[in-house]
Amino acid sequence: MVTVRLAAEATLARAMEELGLPEEEVDTGYGLVAIDPARGLYVLRVTEAGARRVDPEAGGGPHADPPIEPYGPPR
Amino acid sequence: MRVLIQLRPSPDVVAAVADPRRTAAAADVADGLPGVVLDPSFTPVAVPRPVPPAGGDPLSLRRPVRFSLAAEDASVLVRGEISDDEAAVRLALLPTLRPDVTGVFADPVIESTLTCGGDPPVGDWHDVARLLAVEELAGEGLDGAGVALAVLDTGINAAHVARHLGREFTLDAARSWNPAGVTGKPGEFEVDHGTMCAFDTLIAAPKATLIDIPVLLSRRPGGSAVDGLLSDAVAAFAHLRTVLDAQPEESRALVVSNSWGSFSPRWDFPVGSPGNYSDNPAHPFNLIVAGLEAAGADVLFAAGNCGRDCRDGRCAFPDRPIVGANSHPRVLSVGGVDTRGERVGYSSQGPGRLEDRKPDLCAYTHFSGSKAFGADRPDSGTSAACPVAAGLVAAVRTRWPASRLSPAQLRTLLRRTADDRSTVGFDHDYGYGVVDPRGILAALRRRSEA
Repeated sequence: MVTVRLAAEATLARAMEELGLPEEEVDTGYGLVAIDPARGLYVLRVTEAGARRVDPEAGGGPHADPPIEPYGPPR
Repeated sequence: MRVLIQLRPSPDVVAAVADPRRTAAAADVADGLPGVVLDPSFTPVAVPRPVPPAGGDPLSLRRPVRFSLAAEDASVLVRGEISDDEAAVRLALLPTLRPDVTGVFADPVIESTLTCGGDPPVGDWHDVARLLAVEELAGEGLDGAGVALAVLDTGINAAHVARHLGREFTLDAARSWNPAGVTGKPGEFEVDHGTMCAFDTLIAAPKATLIDIPVLLSRRPGGSAVDGLLSDAVAAFAHLRTVLDAQPEESRALVVSNSWGSFSPRWDFPVGSPGNYSDNPAHPFNLIVAGLEAAGADVLFAAGNCGRDCRDGRCAFPDRPIVGANSHPRVLSVGGVDTRGERVGYSSQGPGRLEDRKPDLCAYTHFSGSKAFGADRPDSGTSAACPVAAGLVAAVRTRWPASRLSPAQLRTLLRRTADDRSTVGFDHDYGYGVVDPRGILAALRRRSEA
């Protein structure tokens, strides 16, 4: 995951432009998800290569996206 | 360390201790023992003296021995505590300083065998309902009516829940949500873990409105049949934020039950890295959890099944297994106890990684309930404890929306009223204790009157 701050016009296209990421490196099905809309903080799911290419000035991350599993029944 | 101290006080004191019609206090027997904090709750016990036949060994277990409780023969046991730092010195000095002390013995903790995964159910969901004082809660109008309760899991099979509950319940399809790529309708998913969780929420909050969020059904390459990605949970929480924001501010009531987590650091960045999840409050998921709570939602997470006594085989964190949002200071981390009130051996122990004082408290698990995994198999794991606690929170929210009792205040109330299972308040096995609905009701009544 990478985060991006968008002051206005919070769209996936705007976020990709801001981060300099092409469509093939972004999970467009996941889209642009608001973490803290009041502060204009959003997150995208991107490929590992895409995450590495993000300009640190433009976005935050990459952030871990580990698998999550149910806590039961205990095995 | 806790110790048992054997003394031979004057015969009249021994006689008073040995006489069941009289009551002697620890201070009557052993007042002023240097370096010992006597336990006043422990009633002194008279210990008979073995009297062998002439020439016999008084400690023989094979020869006939008579035991005398006569005042001039018997001794008395009291219980106390000696500072761990001074134990060796005190143990050596006590008989010298106090000639009436005849022995100092260890008083180890004795425990029953803890319930582990694979063990049969301990009680059933009716026992849990009784322990949660569901009738009393309902009598005070706390039944979850009008409260939204989101179950983030593998999806709910509503027909199975209703059949095993013996009644219908409300599931709000409009506010339910699927992660990208997950098909299936709310309430119509296969019977699995999420169905168990849904059932367990409804024990204490029978009239709550369930929101079905099958976040664990998303797939990743190489993933197991039932797991998702944390990014799906981020998106789910973003959806729940819209659900919460749509509620009138004065009556906000959204409870979020999460019986899942990350078992392994394998897919995480190292601790200390800016992208790390397990130990990093600035990770996007930890941020969105905090944001939802700040907006008025009650967020509960299972503490996990990595307890030292019988941990789940998937547990791969070498220590401190309550990680990431499951240990977030703004959530309730829920450990598990069986219906006897004993911690189940797999319930993860603290400290947590984002907040030391985890788990916050414990709720009931390992009981026969939803039968989601088969007729003989219990609702188990801290997976069951979390929705049980979430139901209790939803019940409270019926009359106490976030505008009246903030999520932080409610967490404090739950911790403060929990039935403490240790001698020192908080501990890393039970947290502040086991949820105590009667304590909660009393606290709410006091708050109403204030």
